[in-house]
Order: sequence, then C-alpha cells, then structure tokens
Amino acid sequence: MHTSTSDPETATEHDPCEQRELIGDRGDYFLNRIQGETGVNVSACYQCERCTNACPISQFMDIKPHQIIRYVQLGWRIRLLKSSTIWICLSCEMCTTYCPNEVDVAEIINHLRMMAASSSIAPKEKSLAVFHQTFLEELIKSGRVNEFRLMRAYYSKPDILHEKIKNGTFKQELQLAMTLFRKGRLKLSAPKSKAVKEIQKAYSQTRGEII
Amino acid sequence: MKLSFYPGCSLEGMANDYCESIYAVFKTLGIDLVEIEDWSCCGATAAHSLSEIMSVILPARNLAAAEKMGLDIICPCSLCFNRLRFSQKMIKKKIFHIPWQVTGDIRVLDMTRFLAKPSIIQLIKQCILKPLDSLKVVCYYGCQMVRPPKITGYADYENPQTLDRISAAAGARVLDWSYKSTCCGASIGIGRREIVEFLSKRILQKSRQAGAEAIVVSCPLCQSNLDIVQKDRSDTPTPIFYVTELLRLSFKDKGNPKWFKMHVADPVPVLKAKGLL
Ligand code: SF4
Ligand code: SF4
Repeated sequence: MHTSTSDPETATEHDPCEQRELIGDRGDYFLNRIQGETGVNVSACYQCERCTNACPISQFMDIKPHQIIRYVQLGWRIRLLKSSTIWICLSCEMCTTYCPNEVDVAEIINHLRMMAASSSIAPKEKSLAVFHQTFLEELIKSGRVNEFRLMRAYYSKPDILHEKIKNGTFKQELQLAMTLFRKGRLKLSAPKSKAVKEIQKAYSQTRGEII
Repeated sequence: MKLSFYPGCSLEGMANDYCESIYAVFKTLGIDLVEIEDWSCCGATAAHSLSEIMSVILPARNLAAAEKMGLDIICPCSLCFNRLRFSQKMIKKKIFHIPWQVTGDIRVLDMTRFLAKPSIIQLIKQCILKPLDSLKVVCYYGCQMVRPPKITGYADYENPQTLDRISAAAGARVLDWSYKSTCCGASIGIGRREIVEFLSKRILQKSRQAGAEAIVVSCPLCQSNLDIVQKDRSDTPTPIFYVTELLRLSFKDKGNPKWFKMHVADPVPVLKAKGLL
C-alpha cells in the first residue's frame, strides 16, 4: 500500500498515487461546508462528465468542471482555490443546466471563487481577479460603472499595466479603445447615481463595519 | 401602456446606440417607458464573483424603486435581467437583510420576451413599412437571458424563440442554427483574450455556415464581443444588429443615420446589397 505522508491538498506534482490519497485529516468538513453554504447536493454527482462536455471552455481549464465537483467531495480545498478554472469560468450555466443530478456546478465554482477572493491564496488569474475587484470599487464610488473610468482605474492597479505591456495586449487594447472612441461608443464620463451614499453604507455594513 | 425601464450601465456607455433605438421603437409602438428614477448598477459579474450579499442588495435597490412606481420592469440587458431575477428570488427567501423596502413582487421582463408577446407582435406588424424579407438572419441569445432556466423562467432554453419571432415579424428571413445560446466569452477578454476570440469567432463562423448575412442580438456584451472580433477582417462583415435596430430599419424611422457608424462590422454594404437603404 502506498504510504506517502505528504498532504494531498498541497501536492503539486501529479503523481497518480498521490492523487489517489483520500480525504484530508479534517474529514468531510470542506464538503459539508460547501454544501451548507450553497445548498447544492455535491454528493449527488456520479462523475458522468456531462458538465465538462457541455462547458464551452473546458479545454482552457486546469481542473475540469466534473473534477471540481470531485475535488470538493475529497476536500481538496487548496488545490481548488489555487486553480485557474475558478477564475476563467464564464458563469454561462451550461454545466448546471445539463447535469442529470441537479448539481449546480456553476454555483459551486462561483462559491469557490468567492472563497478564494477572501482567502490568503494568490489568485492564479490575477488580471481577472483584479478586474472584478476594480469593477466593484468603481461601482461603490459612483453607483454606476462607466467603461472608460473602469479601464483607467484597472490599468492603474499595481502590475496590471506592466503585465499587459509585457504580453503585448496593451497595444491591441489601446487601439481598440481608440476605435471605439472614434465610433462614439466610449463615453468618457457618466452621471453618478444619487444613491452612492446608500450603497456605500450598505457595502461597509456587509463588511462588518458598524457605521 | 406604461412600463418602468432599467437601462443598466452598458446602455449609458458602449451601447448608447442600443438605448436610443429602444426608445425610438417603443415610441413608435406607443408604449411608455419610464426610466427607473436614479437607478444604480446591478453589480454584474463582479458582485456575483466577489460578494454574495452585494449581488443580492445591489439589484434589490432598483427593484425597490420600481415597486414604488408600481410598474413592471423592462430590462434590455441580459445580464442585468438575470441579476434582477436572481435578487428577486433571494429576496423572497428572506435570508438576507435588505436595506431597502422591497417585496420582490414586481415583474421583471426581459425586453425580448415582452416584444414577442402575441399582442405586441401584432402591434409591430402594424408599424412595418418596409419588410426586410431579403435579409437572412440568425438570432443569438447568449447565456444570461436563458440560463439557468430556474432563474430566467425560459422553458425553451435550448431553442429560445423570442428574438426569432420579433425578427420574423419585421419580415426578415430567420434561419435555424445550433449556436443560439452558446457563450460568447462575456468579459473574460480582459484577462484572457484568446478565450473570447475562440468563442466569438466560432459563433460568427457558424452563423455564416448557416447562411446568415447578419446576426440579431439583444445583449450589449454579446453585441460588442461579436462586433469587435471582426475588427481586422477584410471580407464582407457580418453586422451584429440589436433587435430594436432591426425593427427600426423596417419601421422606416432610421433616425439619425449615425448609428450605422457606431458598429465595428459595418452594416452598410449588406444593407445596400439588399436594397434596404
Ligand atoms: S454533470 Fe453532474 S453528475 Fe455529471 S459529472 Fe457533472 S456534476 Fe457530476
Ligand atoms: S458555468 Fe463555467 S464551468 Fe459551467 S459550463 Fe460555463 S464556463 Fe463551464
């Protein structure tokens, strides 16, 4: 029998024996937590892979949708939160719609994304994670989101501009912005919603601030 | 008839041409749209991805405002529609504290479903001056308008029909195809451009294989993805029309012809060739 002592959660190399290792020492704590928080019956999955077959971008994923569900059953929290899948999933709901057992796969992935966002684990797809964060910040600032201001704020985030220049997408995006501006589709400003104060208050309350 | 209107942030920015065409079409149909006073963003993918409670209370604020007006909501953006419906469902479960007074009883309609009602189709037919019968189109619905059916209420989520019916009423030849509700990539292009290009190019290619000369959409994000991906093409572009733009063409109220110029995939060559301009 295989007797490795390494933690299966943190194992990075894909040693098949390592992967076969069973649930971590917290038992099915993680599975129960996810099922309790989402109301999704993860245990109902019988690995038919229909979700993965329905998914339009499974070839871009490091952990496929049906594997996500399996890993939740096994309690492999860190491996899940470190994955790129939880950030690139489009929430297109194909998986959920076609699962024969009504496992809400998209909701599980979205929930893992929220968990990752509030964990200490660095997101694998940083540019996407930062984008969501910037969007929310812009929303809280003015009640509505203007594309131009959003992109400006996004590019001023640490490392984003640098990374975009490095991988060559910056030039493309700048050209695109110019085209859209010429076509009258890029508005440089938008009216604020008068509700900003209310929204800011609600937002800080959700984060546990009293006033 | 009077309805409250939730435009959403896109229709104030990138899709301002869409907004203009909606007002024009509803005016022709004689239906009053009252913009929800002081509406705010629905939270879109960001709130959905990062904070469950925000994804419920942000749309709830707009539901509350519409309830005060006592008018059903018409929502042209698929994502906003999905988020409003989701929030409504969560409000009814009464597990979150919502800082606004809201019951969730008001009806939230996606615009296409409203326009596809038999009575409205009749109304549309009466307004047609120049049927588009030489134009072959396919209708593209995307994800958020139809899925998940438990939220959107679409029973025919595999083969939705609302856009098909409206386009047919405008006299276009609506073709069948299998990519009606395959994802276009949404906002993933921000971090992973190759994914959005892979998905959008495939949809375009399939529409051409079906024989379509144009694609009809109702979601601002789908429109911009399918439109922008044609940026560097040299052959005849496939224009991506908002459904209300298509109606407008057949209503003969083309409005300010400036809206043609706002498309990246220029609709003029196709429309000229078809004698529709
Ligand atoms: S479709 Fe459902 S049952 Fe099948 S593998 Fe996916 S989650 Fe499991
Ligand atoms: S919601 Fe995510 S995992 Fe599910 S089919 Fe869509 S992209 Fe794939």
